Amino acid sequence: MYEILGFFVTTWTDPWLIFLVAVGTFAGIYIGAIPGLSVTMATSILISFTFKWDVNEALALISGVFFGGVYGGSRTAILLNIPGAPSAIATAIEGYPLAKRGEAGEAIGLTTVMSVFGGFIGIIALALFAPVISEFALMFQSRDYFLLGIIGILLVGTLSGESFAKGAFAGALGVLIGMVGLDPMTAEGRFTFGSIHLLGGIPYVAAMIGFFGVAEALVQLNTLNTAAIKQKIDRIIPRFSDVKKYFWLAIRASGIGTIIGALPGTGGDIAALLAYDDAKRSTKNPERPFGTGNREGLVAPEAANNAAVGGAHIPMLTLGIPGDAVTAVIIGALFIHGLKPGPLLLVDSPHLFWFIVGTLALANVFLLVFGLTGIRLFTKIVECPKAVLIPLIIVLGAVGTYAIQNNPVDVYWMLLFGVVGYFMKTYGFEVAPVILGVILGPMMDSNYRRAMLRSRGDFSDFIWGFLSNPISLVLTIGLLLMLISQTPIWSILRKKLFQIRE
Amino acid sequence: MKPQTPHRRPGELVFALLIVVFSVGALWQSYSISGFSGKTTPGVFPMIASGVMVISGVVVLMSATQLPAPPEGAPGFLAEILTLRHMVVIGLVLAYVLLMPLIGFVASSAVFLFCSFQFLWRKNPLLMLALTGVTLVIIYVVFREVFQVVLPQGILLQG
Repeated sequence: MYEILGFFVTTWTDPWLIFLVAVGTFAGIYIGAIPGLSVTMATSILISFTFKWDVNEALALISGVFFGGVYGGSRTAILLNIPGAPSAIATAIEGYPLAKRGEAGEAIGLTTVMSVFGGFIGIIALALFAPVISEFALMFQSRDYFLLGIIGILLVGTLSGESFAKGAFAGALGVLIGMVGLDPMTAEGRFTFGSIHLLGGIPYVAAMIGFFGVAEALVQLNTLNTAAIKQKIDRIIPRFSDVKKYFWLAIRASGIGTIIGALPGTGGDIAALLAYDDAKRSTKNPERPFGTGNREGLVAPEAANNAAVGGAHIPMLTLGIPGDAVTAVIIGALFIHGLKPGPLLLVDSPHLFWFIVGTLALANVFLLVFGLTGIRLFTKIVECPKAVLIPLIIVLGAVGTYAIQNNPVDVYWMLLFGVVGYFMKTYGFEVAPVILGVILGPMMDSNYRRAMLRSRGDFSDFIWGFLSNPISLVLTIGLLLMLISQTPIWSILRKKLFQIRE
Repeated sequence: MKPQTPHRRPGELVFALLIVVFSVGALWQSYSISGFSGKTTPGVFPMIASGVMVISGVVVLMSATQLPAPPEGAPGFLAEILTLRHMVVIGLVLAYVLLMPLIGFVASSAVFLFCSFQFLWRKNPLLMLALTGVTLVIIYVVFREVFQVVLPQGILLQG
């Protein structure tokens, strides 16, 4: 217990680490807030810059950016009606009408306190449940990881994209990109076309920066000249009575956020929308109708999306399956530092787990500090024109991609992925499943082959394994349900069940 | 969770067709890794992945054909998707990444930043030049000194 506490306070006692978390959180708030910059983009680029650092320092900075970024989107949502991040869409619905009434400061104060509150709930859930899940996950076999990988990619693809087929395509494309290079089991080349540049594979950081950075920059070219509307801000510190009033709602929303965040493949954006929807249904006598500056509708999504940060760390650290796009990128960071997230992480390096928990908690404290201050500076920075931002993103992306291997070829990959990603986004494909595929593809490949080898190549024995083991069976049923829900059979079934109930 | 567009976007059909062609090519390449010689050969998983791509690509193509064509007079592919602005920026980035190994990070970034600021913002060139200078100095100091990143060096120009 004391040992754990020791690991937990590592960040809290080292001035340099405290400084890094503070800088990360501060930067994250602005990155999340500036439309056109996203947390995923920033973390992808940060990984490439920090990979030579000590792992603790890199994680301190990245965790800060993650936490700050998820929150930061709410500020632009309230002030400009532009959600700085997808997780702030619901915030904009209620926050902007509040700002128009001249209550922007109060709205920002309330969202800050509730975000921090949600953040802590998520972190507590991470600290309590991750060790349990990780112990349970030690029983997982190769085929279970194979299944988890598929489920994770499909969840990201289907919940956020336009259609199931587009999500599945994006995920499979990512897996394919992850396959390029020498096969780790037989050292045979795959898709190398005789080129030495392809033997080592396509670096996933190039794919991340291309798909999340350059592609997004190209999308932003479409809205180059959107003018921002300024709002006046007065009181920021929220009234204690308000905080007390929305306390239970925030707890509920945080619970939703943590659970949604913990599901592989779903993150803050979906958590926020679900919590908003829940608040809409559970609020009996709203002060103002929803959509016109209702406070419940502001508190719920904000508490939920920050709670999802802690939640998203649970599957990432215990199973090695990222909970959302940002954790997919963070998994990449852990790989680069030679760490292997999964059930053994808590056994082999508990210090790292508790370090992450401690760092997230510290980032949350800084969020409260920075969230309630510096609004005036903030409104200045957010007005940074996109004509300046877009070239900057590209330069930072290029430096970052180059820094990983000092290889100019990686930068060409970045550009190619950027252009492909732009077209994919334009035609309604999500790019997050691609990155999940790149990260999880090699893991799924080796687990599939291990499971098949264990069945001695006997196909019926391999299939039997999915049905005879309780854990595999649950996962298989989950996957099958997901697939069935995308086919016409589902709607027929639902109609029948519905009739029976009537 | 974006709303479904009632009409096909310009170029959507071509894009869907391209991804099907790419997927079939990928499937063929995956098959040529180790064929059907075993269940745990290196080629199996790439075949599964590209197989999923072919199937989902065909579904995407089919649903694209079922959507009504873009309405008359709607902006076309070059006006909405790949605008002149996009082409110029992509061209600038291409020139940037090709120039970088030749003239190094600082010089190539300076050219790229100046050209793209000027193209996207269209303000006084002197102001843009100053902005380029300030940006470069910040990037250089932050990344070279704080992050200690190795910045690309050129063959013709160092650093």
